[in-house]
Amino acid sequence: MTTSYIRPLAELRRADADEFGGKSANLGDLLSAGIPVPPGFAVGAAGYRAFVEETGLGGTVAAALSRASAGDVRAIGTAAKAIDEAMRFAPLSDSLRAELGRCYEELALATGEERPPVAVRSSALGEDSQEASHAGQQESFLWVRGLEQVCDAVRDCWVSLFSPQAISYRATLGAAGTEPAMGVTIQAMVDAEVSGVMFTCNPVSGDPSMVALNASWGLGIAVVGGEVTPDDYLVSKITREVVRETVSAKHVEYVPDEAGRGTVRRDVPQERRDAPCLGAEALAVLIDVARLVERHFGGHQDIEWAIARGQPLPEALRVLQARPVTTLPDPPPKLSGTALSLVLSTFGAPPQTSEQP
Amino acid sequence: MAAPTKTSSAFPSPYEIATPPGCEGWQEMYPYYAVFDESRREADESRFWFWNSMHFPVPMPAFDVACIDAPYQAVGEWQNRFFAVPPAMGIDYRIVNGYVYISGNPVTDPAKIAERVEYFQHRAGYYFEHWEELYAKWKQKMEALIAEITALPVPDLPEYEPDELMLEDEWNTAFYEILEAYSRTLRCGDLMWQHHFELLLLGYGAYVTFHDFCKTALPDIPDQHIAQMVAGIDVLLFKPSEELRRLAKLAIDSGVDGAFVEGRSPREIDAELEQSAAGRSWLAELERVKDPWFNMATGDGLYHYYRNWYDDPTIPYASIAGHVRALQEGEDVERPSDEIARERERLAEEYGALLDHANRKTFHELLGLSRMVFPYVEEHKFFCDYWFLTRWWNKIREFGALLATHGFLEDSEDIFQLGRHEVATALDELLLTWATGGTPLGPTYWPPIVARRKELLEKLAGWTPPPAIGATPDAITDPMSIMLWGVTTERVQEWANADEGGSQLRGAAAAPGLVEGVARVVIEIEEIAAVRDGDVLVCPITSPAWAPIFSSVKAVVTDIGGVMSHAAIVCREYGLPAVVGTGRATAKIRTGQMIRVDGSNGLVTILDAKE
Repeated sequence: MTTSYIRPLAELRRADADEFGGKSANLGDLLSAGIPVPPGFAVGAAGYRAFVEETGLGGTVAAALSRASAGDVRAIGTAAKAIDEAMRFAPLSDSLRAELGRCYEELALATGEERPPVAVRSSALGEDSQEASHAGQQESFLWVRGLEQVCDAVRDCWVSLFSPQAISYRATLGAAGTEPAMGVTIQAMVDAEVSGVMFTCNPVSGDPSMVALNASWGLGIAVVGGEVTPDDYLVSKITREVVRETVSAKHVEYVPDEAGRGTVRRDVPQERRDAPCLGAEALAVLIDVARLVERHFGGHQDIEWAIARGQPLPEALRVLQARPVTTLPDPPPKLSGTALSLVLSTFGAPPQTSEQP
Repeated sequence: MAAPTKTSSAFPSPYEIATPPGCEGWQEMYPYYAVFDESRREADESRFWFWNSMHFPVPMPAFDVACIDAPYQAVGEWQNRFFAVPPAMGIDYRIVNGYVYISGNPVTDPAKIAERVEYFQHRAGYYFEHWEELYAKWKQKMEALIAEITALPVPDLPEYEPDELMLEDEWNTAFYEILEAYSRTLRCGDLMWQHHFELLLLGYGAYVTFHDFCKTALPDIPDQHIAQMVAGIDVLLFKPSEELRRLAKLAIDSGVDGAFVEGRSPREIDAELEQSAAGRSWLAELERVKDPWFNMATGDGLYHYYRNWYDDPTIPYASIAGHVRALQEGEDVERPSDEIARERERLAEEYGALLDHANRKTFHELLGLSRMVFPYVEEHKFFCDYWFLTRWWNKIREFGALLATHGFLEDSEDIFQLGRHEVATALDELLLTWATGGTPLGPTYWPPIVARRKELLEKLAGWTPPPAIGATPDAITDPMSIMLWGVTTERVQEWANADEGGSQLRGAAAAPGLVEGVARVVIEIEEIAAVRDGDVLVCPITSPAWAPIFSSVKAVVTDIGGVMSHAAIVCREYGLPAVVGTGRATAKIRTGQMIRVDGSNGLVTILDAKE
């Protein structure tokens, strides 16, 4: 094989973000630190460019985009529709199909399943995933099974580059005409019994000694999408004690659709609704992973995680994503002065200044 | 404290509080200056006063007023006249229906504050710099004072003076010796209070500063972790409990644990132990432990009711019996001091590592300062409030016995129904008539007064004091009120907004955790024996002296106290969820009710609110 568009996630590092996108690069980085990320592979931007070139869609895209300008909702909608129609059913090249097939086969071997379910997600180029989320380039396809479906999902991710929001976003950046590109992440699915997000600090108070967690039953979309009020935990990083625990009624959960591709939303049985979905052991494992991720990236992280159904801890825990925390409260005012002058100020004595003898 | 809003207060005026039926004239038990007098109405009504239920949970017997006057003389002396704490002078007190209300005197003049800053920085700086040396001397002074009060003789009145009066220059007459002994007893008490407060302000100040620093830099840090980082490993105050655990183990090892049957009195346990050689040798070991560890008190020490463990061994025996049961069931009752020491260092290191460079340096400096002062903060209770005071009360009892022998009192305990100056008066008359051979009036004069006062105290005990009276302050700025009593602006607002009919009480989150359990309201020490495994203790204030029973309760709720009150510190050591400073838990909660204690959020909920 002379050209290769795909690399295993485990081989990627943060520096690969420009070619494979922030998401894939980040997952690779986490894997390199021994953090339990589900295995998978990543399609680089070159894969997308080859697709556009081989299918001859470049001209269609350029023509459609040239008519879209910032603020013109109607024109953007027309452009998006034109590109969608042209791209939606365009075939992937044989070479890319073959490479995807080979990687999917390897994943089947690694997971021990014939047609392992995977998540196929857009991986926007560059490290700033915040920007990508604004751009609406966050298309995700869950519970995708079989090579055909994987190929379709990869292409559907590319199509999402030209959603009206994405076009509009680039237009406001003054980059409407430039050729966009993206990476795609293909990763083994976790049949989550419980999933959620955690911050390696308390995002409300800014306390760096705490891990703040939200958790609910089933796949993480219920939490991320705000469809349930998750259980809320605040746990000390230092002693793993639960400092605050608020258990909520969790009415719905998402589980894989047994019929095939995708997920289904269902009511949580009464007896599990009000039950806390994390116990002391799970919390302890999560805290350890949170500390590992924080140490690896050297800053506070917002981590998506899942606990696989029917597996023992700690193996059951998987990290699905980690992003730097960008919205933290202002750090506490500098508690300046010597210890003694702070004690004296407790008694209402002003801190000593340098003018004093 | 800030300027009060005069017009309408959320709290009752001290001048409009009704006297409970049958308690008319209660004021005669107390000094003229101790009550809300009409002549200072204008000033007193516009001040904020809170009930000091932490130190004075029940109506004050007349003699016990000595333990109001002397401590407030001493705290005012150190705070106002020596250290000149810039914004705060001393603390005034008034008695209402037998209960003690206090109010700080603020310094408001900026020029005066600036003047005091000079004194304060100079003197506080000296104390911190020489702390360890000063505390070592302090302990020597206290031990000498305890030895003195223990040995102080209260002579009998002889029929005839002995020959020594003519033979020995130093020999004095009995009347003089008794007056001298009484006067010296009172002065020893004053001296103890002087010592008590010498280091207290700065000791607490250092700890509170570290606590506040942690809460600012690490807003969610549990108070217990702060306490763990500071707490001493080998603290005197925990020694009595440790010795009891050791004795429980010894009872099992020597096969005499069968004597500790639940519900038996100490006397019954002793009687069985006397029967065997092993039992007698266990008792001999107990005797050895008693000095000094049985100088713990059965309560927080500011009332004569609280005895030491020599006089009332209910607590140590109940505690030994509890440890015996735990050990028989295979529980480990040792305090794992190595582990505590390692954890203390680990917490300090890990928390420190989360801070930026400048804050980390301050964190470690403040921690060092807190650790330096902490032995005093924890141990002064043992030396002053327990060891000294229980002996001091016993010395007063000797004068009570003298007065009872001569018919001035029916019982030696009745002495506590007289004010300390009244006792001096009674002694004067006793000695006068004993010397002259005349007929004393005392035996007909004092007993009716004593009887009336006992009746008053009993009736006043049924009255529930409001947590605060007088003006509602805009803000609480007095460092002592905040540090020692946990009376903060928020707490006062909660008192002011308290919904009388609600089933929730709010207080300070003193130790984390959420439990539900059956409430056991304990106002006085006698009720301690009724506490059962798994009860939630509801009391005016948790005294460290009650610590041995903490191993059986599930949670603690108190009327008053901040996260920094002596008791809260010990509570956290036991890892019990605690809500302190609720204002009125003992009045609102009844024994037997199911309550939920949320020690992390400072909430107490009465789950079955019906009577």
